[in-house]
Amino acid sequence: MIDALAAGPVDLLATRSYYAGTFLLLGIGAYVMIASPNLVKKVIGMNIFQTGIFLFFIASAYVDGAQNPIVGPKATGPFVSPLPHVLILTAIVVGVSLTAVALGLIVRIYNEYGTLEADVLQEVRSDD
Amino acid sequence: MIDVVSLALLGLVIACALATAVLRDVLAAIIAFAAYSLGIAMIWVLLQAPDVGLTEAAVGAGVTTVLFLLTIAKTVRPPGDAIFESVDPKGLLVAVLIVGVLASTLGALPPVGSAETPVAQSQVTDYYLENAYEQTHVKNAVTAVLAAYRGFDTMGEAVVVFAAGVGLLVVLGREVFA
Repeated sequence: MIDALAAGPVDLLATRSYYAGTFLLLGIGAYVMIASPNLVKKVIGMNIFQTGIFLFFIASAYVDGAQNPIVGPKATGPFVSPLPHVLILTAIVVGVSLTAVALGLIVRIYNEYGTLEADVLQEVRSDD
Repeated sequence: MIDVVSLALLGLVIACALATAVLRDVLAAIIAFAAYSLGIAMIWVLLQAPDVGLTEAAVGAGVTTVLFLLTIAKTVRPPGDAIFESVDPKGLLVAVLIVGVLASTLGALPPVGSAETPVAQSQVTDYYLENAYEQTHVKNAVTAVLAAYRGFDTMGEAVVVFAAGVGLLVVLGREVFA
Protein backbone atom coordinates (compact mmCIF):
# COMPACT_ATOMS: atom_id res chain seq x y z
CA MET A 1 0.00 0.00 0.00
CA ILE A 2 2.83 2.41 0.87
CA ASP A 3 4.49 1.52 -2.45
CA ALA A 4 1.26 2.21 -4.29
CA LEU A 5 0.92 5.64 -2.72
CA ALA A 6 4.54 6.50 -3.48
CA ALA A 7 4.11 5.48 -7.12
CA GLY A 8 1.60 8.26 -7.72
CA PRO A 9 -2.00 8.43 -8.91
CA VAL A 10 -1.33 7.47 -12.55
CA ASP A 11 0.27 4.17 -11.61
CA LEU A 12 -2.45 3.61 -9.02
CA LEU A 13 -5.11 3.98 -11.72
CA ALA A 14 -3.21 1.84 -14.24
CA THR A 15 -2.85 -1.12 -11.89
CA ARG A 16 -6.36 -0.84 -10.42
CA SER A 17 -8.41 0.41 -13.37
CA TYR A 18 -11.08 -2.29 -12.89
CA TYR A 19 -11.65 -1.10 -9.34
CA ALA A 20 -11.80 2.51 -10.54
CA GLY A 21 -14.35 1.37 -13.14
CA THR A 22 -16.35 -0.33 -10.37
CA PHE A 23 -16.49 2.92 -8.39
CA LEU A 24 -17.63 4.89 -11.45
CA LEU A 25 -20.36 2.33 -12.24
CA LEU A 26 -21.58 2.45 -8.62
CA GLY A 27 -21.72 6.25 -8.87
CA ILE A 28 -23.60 6.19 -12.20
CA GLY A 29 -26.03 3.53 -10.93
CA ALA A 30 -26.75 5.49 -7.75
CA TYR A 31 -27.22 8.69 -9.79
CA VAL A 32 -29.77 7.06 -12.13
CA MET A 33 -31.68 5.58 -9.17
CA ILE A 34 -31.87 8.98 -7.42
CA ALA A 35 -32.17 11.43 -10.31
CA SER A 36 -34.36 9.71 -12.88
CA PRO A 37 -38.06 10.38 -12.32
CA ASN A 38 -39.02 7.35 -14.43
CA LEU A 39 -39.51 4.12 -12.50
CA VAL A 40 -38.20 1.87 -15.33
CA LYS A 41 -34.99 3.90 -15.49
CA LYS A 42 -34.59 3.57 -11.73
CA VAL A 43 -34.57 -0.23 -12.20
CA ILE A 44 -31.96 0.12 -14.99
CA GLY A 45 -29.87 2.17 -12.53
CA MET A 46 -30.16 -0.62 -9.98
CA ASN A 47 -28.88 -3.08 -12.61
CA ILE A 48 -25.86 -0.85 -13.35
CA PHE A 49 -25.13 -0.64 -9.62
CA GLN A 50 -25.27 -4.47 -9.39
CA THR A 51 -22.90 -5.06 -12.31
CA GLY A 52 -20.49 -2.57 -10.73
CA ILE A 53 -20.27 -4.84 -7.70
CA PHE A 54 -19.90 -7.90 -9.98
CA LEU A 55 -16.92 -6.20 -11.65
CA PHE A 56 -15.28 -5.76 -8.24
CA PHE A 57 -15.63 -9.48 -7.43
CA ILE A 58 -14.48 -10.81 -10.81
CA ALA A 59 -11.52 -8.40 -10.92
CA SER A 60 -10.50 -9.51 -7.41
CA ALA A 61 -10.41 -13.15 -8.59
CA TYR A 62 -8.18 -12.37 -11.58
CA VAL A 63 -4.47 -13.27 -11.60
CA ASP A 64 -2.21 -12.15 -14.48
CA GLY A 65 -1.39 -15.05 -16.80
CA ALA A 66 -3.68 -17.49 -15.00
CA GLN A 67 -6.13 -19.76 -16.83
CA ASN A 68 -9.83 -20.10 -16.27
CA PRO A 69 -10.49 -22.73 -13.59
CA ILE A 70 -10.87 -25.88 -15.74
CA VAL A 71 -8.90 -28.26 -13.53
CA GLY A 72 -8.90 -31.68 -15.22
CA PRO A 73 -6.01 -34.10 -14.59
CA LYS A 74 -3.85 -32.72 -17.42
CA ALA A 75 -4.40 -29.02 -16.75
CA THR A 76 -1.59 -27.09 -15.13
CA GLY A 77 -2.01 -23.85 -13.25
CA PRO A 78 -2.01 -21.19 -12.21
CA PHE A 79 -5.77 -20.76 -12.22
CA VAL A 80 -7.97 -17.84 -11.24
CA SER A 81 -10.06 -18.34 -8.11
CA PRO A 82 -13.40 -20.05 -8.89
CA LEU A 83 -15.20 -18.87 -5.75
CA PRO A 84 -15.96 -15.24 -6.77
CA HIS A 85 -17.21 -16.54 -10.13
CA VAL A 86 -19.69 -18.82 -8.35
CA LEU A 87 -20.90 -16.04 -6.07
CA ILE A 88 -21.46 -13.74 -9.06
CA LEU A 89 -23.27 -16.45 -11.07
CA THR A 90 -25.72 -16.73 -8.17
CA ALA A 91 -25.94 -12.93 -7.88
CA ILE A 92 -26.73 -12.51 -11.61
CA VAL A 93 -29.69 -14.91 -11.38
CA VAL A 94 -30.95 -13.30 -8.18
CA GLY A 95 -30.55 -9.89 -9.84
CA VAL A 96 -32.75 -10.95 -12.75
CA SER A 97 -35.43 -12.23 -10.33
CA LEU A 98 -35.30 -8.87 -8.56
CA THR A 99 -35.60 -7.00 -11.85
CA ALA A 100 -38.54 -9.18 -12.95
CA VAL A 101 -40.50 -8.55 -9.73
CA ALA A 102 -39.70 -4.81 -9.81
CA LEU A 103 -40.89 -4.53 -13.42
CA GLY A 104 -44.04 -6.53 -12.57
CA LEU A 105 -44.81 -4.07 -9.78
CA ILE A 106 -44.17 -1.18 -12.20
CA VAL A 107 -46.68 -2.58 -14.74
CA ARG A 108 -49.21 -2.95 -11.90
CA ILE A 109 -48.56 0.63 -10.70
CA TYR A 110 -49.08 1.90 -14.25
CA ASN A 111 -52.39 0.07 -14.60
CA GLU A 112 -53.56 1.47 -11.27
CA TYR A 113 -52.36 5.09 -11.50
CA GLY A 114 -51.60 5.65 -15.20
CA THR A 115 -48.13 7.09 -14.68
CA LEU A 116 -44.52 5.97 -14.29
CA GLU A 117 -43.14 9.29 -13.00
CA ALA A 118 -42.26 9.09 -9.30
CA ASP A 119 -43.21 12.72 -8.50
CA VAL A 120 -46.59 12.53 -10.32
CA LEU A 121 -47.26 9.25 -8.54
CA GLN A 122 -46.64 10.90 -5.16
CA GLU A 123 -49.17 13.65 -5.99
CA VAL A 124 -51.80 11.16 -7.21
CA ARG A 125 -51.38 9.07 -4.09
CA SER A 126 -51.63 12.03 -1.71
CA ASP A 127 -54.94 12.99 -3.42
CA ASP A 128 -56.46 9.57 -2.62
CA MET B 1 -1.22 -3.70 -15.25
CA ILE B 2 -4.01 -3.47 -17.80
CA ASP B 3 -3.73 -4.00 -21.55
CA VAL B 4 -5.20 -1.78 -24.25
CA VAL B 5 -8.14 -4.08 -25.15
CA SER B 6 -9.34 -4.33 -21.56
CA LEU B 7 -8.97 -0.60 -21.08
CA ALA B 8 -10.97 0.08 -24.28
CA LEU B 9 -13.72 -2.33 -23.14
CA LEU B 10 -13.83 -0.71 -19.71
CA GLY B 11 -14.15 2.68 -21.42
CA LEU B 12 -16.98 1.34 -23.64
CA VAL B 13 -18.83 -0.03 -20.63
CA ILE B 14 -18.59 3.23 -18.69
CA ALA B 15 -19.61 5.23 -21.78
CA CYS B 16 -22.68 2.99 -22.24
CA ALA B 17 -23.57 3.39 -18.56
CA LEU B 18 -23.29 7.18 -18.92
CA ALA B 19 -25.46 7.06 -22.07
CA THR B 20 -28.05 5.05 -20.13
CA ALA B 21 -28.02 7.71 -17.42
CA VAL B 22 -28.43 10.77 -19.66
CA LEU B 23 -30.82 9.45 -22.35
CA ARG B 24 -34.35 10.57 -21.56
CA ASP B 25 -36.26 8.12 -23.74
CA VAL B 26 -36.57 4.82 -21.88
CA LEU B 27 -36.30 2.74 -25.09
CA ALA B 28 -32.98 4.45 -25.93
CA ALA B 29 -31.78 3.86 -22.35
CA ILE B 30 -32.69 0.16 -22.61
CA ILE B 31 -30.72 -0.19 -25.87
CA ALA B 32 -27.72 1.53 -24.28
CA PHE B 33 -28.07 -0.82 -21.30
CA ALA B 34 -28.08 -3.87 -23.61
CA ALA B 35 -24.83 -2.63 -25.18
CA TYR B 36 -23.49 -2.14 -21.66
CA SER B 37 -24.33 -5.76 -20.76
CA LEU B 38 -22.61 -7.00 -23.92
CA GLY B 39 -19.46 -5.01 -23.08
CA ILE B 40 -19.39 -6.29 -19.52
CA ALA B 41 -19.85 -9.90 -20.76
CA MET B 42 -16.71 -9.43 -22.88
CA ILE B 43 -14.86 -8.09 -19.84
CA TRP B 44 -15.78 -11.28 -17.94
CA VAL B 45 -14.22 -13.36 -20.73
CA LEU B 46 -11.01 -11.27 -20.61
CA LEU B 47 -10.90 -11.69 -16.83
CA GLN B 48 -10.96 -15.50 -17.31
CA ALA B 49 -14.53 -15.93 -16.11
CA PRO B 50 -16.21 -17.55 -19.16
CA ASP B 51 -19.07 -19.03 -17.10
CA VAL B 52 -20.00 -15.60 -15.80
CA GLY B 53 -19.62 -14.18 -19.32
CA LEU B 54 -22.05 -16.75 -20.76
CA THR B 55 -24.58 -16.11 -18.02
CA GLU B 56 -24.26 -12.35 -18.38
CA ALA B 57 -24.71 -12.50 -22.17
CA ALA B 58 -27.74 -14.83 -21.92
CA VAL B 59 -29.36 -13.40 -18.83
CA GLY B 60 -28.06 -9.82 -18.55
CA ALA B 61 -28.10 -8.83 -22.21
CA GLY B 62 -30.88 -11.29 -23.18
CA VAL B 63 -33.56 -11.90 -20.56
CA THR B 64 -33.24 -8.56 -18.75
CA THR B 65 -33.52 -6.59 -22.01
CA VAL B 66 -36.62 -8.57 -23.02
CA LEU B 67 -38.17 -7.90 -19.59
CA PHE B 68 -37.52 -4.16 -19.95
CA LEU B 69 -38.94 -4.12 -23.48
CA LEU B 70 -42.07 -6.01 -22.35
CA THR B 71 -42.51 -3.46 -19.57
CA ILE B 72 -42.38 -0.43 -21.86
CA ALA B 73 -44.67 -2.20 -24.33
CA LYS B 74 -47.24 -2.52 -21.50
CA THR B 75 -46.73 1.05 -20.19
CA VAL B 76 -45.71 4.46 -21.63
CA ARG B 77 -42.51 6.12 -22.73
CA PRO B 78 -41.90 9.58 -21.24
CA PRO B 79 -43.58 12.30 -23.34
CA GLY B 80 -41.71 15.30 -24.80
CA ASP B 81 -39.01 15.87 -27.40
CA ALA B 82 -35.92 16.35 -25.20
CA ILE B 83 -33.19 13.80 -26.00
CA PHE B 84 -31.24 14.17 -22.78
CA GLU B 85 -32.37 14.17 -19.19
CA SER B 86 -31.80 17.42 -17.25
CA VAL B 87 -29.08 17.09 -14.62
CA ASP B 88 -30.30 16.63 -11.07
CA PRO B 89 -27.88 18.47 -8.72
CA LYS B 90 -28.89 16.51 -5.62
CA GLY B 91 -28.41 13.12 -7.32
CA LEU B 92 -25.12 14.31 -8.84
CA LEU B 93 -23.88 15.40 -5.40
CA VAL B 94 -24.70 12.00 -3.88
CA ALA B 95 -23.08 10.15 -6.82
CA VAL B 96 -19.90 12.29 -6.60
CA LEU B 97 -19.77 11.70 -2.83
CA ILE B 98 -20.10 7.92 -3.33
CA VAL B 99 -17.37 7.86 -5.98
CA GLY B 100 -15.14 10.13 -3.87
CA VAL B 101 -15.43 8.04 -0.72
CA LEU B 102 -14.89 4.78 -2.64
CA ALA B 103 -11.95 6.24 -4.61
CA SER B 104 -10.21 7.09 -1.33
CA THR B 105 -9.92 3.32 -0.72
CA LEU B 106 -8.21 2.67 -4.07
CA GLY B 107 -4.68 2.80 -2.63
CA ALA B 108 -5.54 0.18 -0.02
CA LEU B 109 -6.74 -2.35 -2.62
CA PRO B 110 -4.27 -4.84 -4.09
CA PRO B 111 -3.36 -4.36 -7.78
CA VAL B 112 -5.67 -6.28 -10.16
CA GLY B 113 -3.92 -9.43 -11.40
CA SER B 114 -1.34 -9.64 -8.63
CA ALA B 115 -0.69 -13.18 -7.37
CA GLU B 116 -0.41 -11.85 -3.81
CA THR B 117 -4.03 -10.76 -3.42
CA PRO B 118 -5.98 -12.22 -0.48
CA VAL B 119 -8.35 -13.96 -2.93
CA ALA B 120 -5.55 -15.66 -4.88
CA GLN B 121 -3.75 -16.75 -1.70
CA SER B 122 -6.86 -17.86 0.14
CA GLN B 123 -6.95 -21.42 1.49
CA VAL B 124 -10.48 -21.80 0.15
CA THR B 125 -9.28 -21.06 -3.40
CA ASP B 126 -6.42 -23.55 -3.06
CA TYR B 127 -8.72 -26.21 -1.64
CA TYR B 128 -11.22 -25.92 -4.48
CA LEU B 129 -8.53 -25.91 -7.19
CA GLU B 130 -6.67 -28.90 -5.72
CA ASN B 131 -9.60 -31.11 -4.76
CA ALA B 132 -12.48 -30.23 -7.07
CA TYR B 133 -11.59 -32.77 -9.75
CA GLU B 134 -10.83 -35.72 -7.42
CA GLN B 135 -13.85 -35.15 -5.23
CA THR B 136 -16.53 -34.29 -7.78
CA HIS B 137 -15.09 -35.53 -11.13
CA VAL B 138 -16.14 -32.26 -12.72
CA LYS B 139 -13.41 -30.53 -14.69
CA ASN B 140 -14.86 -27.07 -14.40
CA ALA B 141 -14.09 -25.89 -10.86
CA VAL B 142 -16.81 -23.23 -11.08
CA THR B 143 -19.46 -25.89 -11.77
CA ALA B 144 -18.03 -28.11 -9.03
CA VAL B 145 -18.26 -25.32 -6.45
CA LEU B 146 -21.68 -24.17 -7.65
CA ALA B 147 -23.34 -27.58 -7.73
CA ALA B 148 -21.41 -29.56 -5.11
CA TYR B 149 -19.51 -27.58 -2.48
CA ARG B 150 -22.01 -24.74 -2.40
CA GLY B 151 -25.07 -26.74 -3.45
CA PHE B 152 -27.15 -25.28 -0.65
CA ASP B 153 -26.42 -21.75 -1.95
CA THR B 154 -27.67 -22.83 -5.34
CA MET B 155 -30.79 -24.31 -3.79
CA GLY B 156 -31.35 -20.95 -2.05
CA GLU B 157 -30.96 -19.30 -5.44
CA ALA B 158 -33.58 -21.62 -6.92
CA VAL B 159 -35.89 -20.70 -4.02
CA VAL B 160 -35.38 -17.00 -4.83
CA VAL B 161 -36.26 -17.59 -8.50
CA PHE B 162 -39.35 -19.58 -7.46
CA ALA B 163 -40.39 -16.84 -5.03
CA ALA B 164 -39.93 -14.24 -7.78
CA GLY B 165 -42.13 -16.30 -10.10
CA VAL B 166 -44.85 -16.61 -7.45
CA GLY B 167 -44.54 -12.90 -6.66
CA LEU B 168 -44.94 -11.98 -10.32
CA LEU B 169 -48.04 -14.17 -10.65
CA VAL B 170 -49.56 -12.53 -7.57
CA VAL B 171 -48.76 -9.00 -8.76
CA LEU B 172 -49.75 -9.50 -12.39
CA GLY B 173 -52.43 -12.18 -11.89
CA ARG B 174 -55.23 -9.94 -13.09
CA GLU B 175 -53.35 -8.90 -16.26
CA VAL B 176 -52.09 -12.37 -17.12
CA PHE B 177 -55.28 -14.36 -16.59
CA ALA B 178 -57.80 -11.70 -17.62
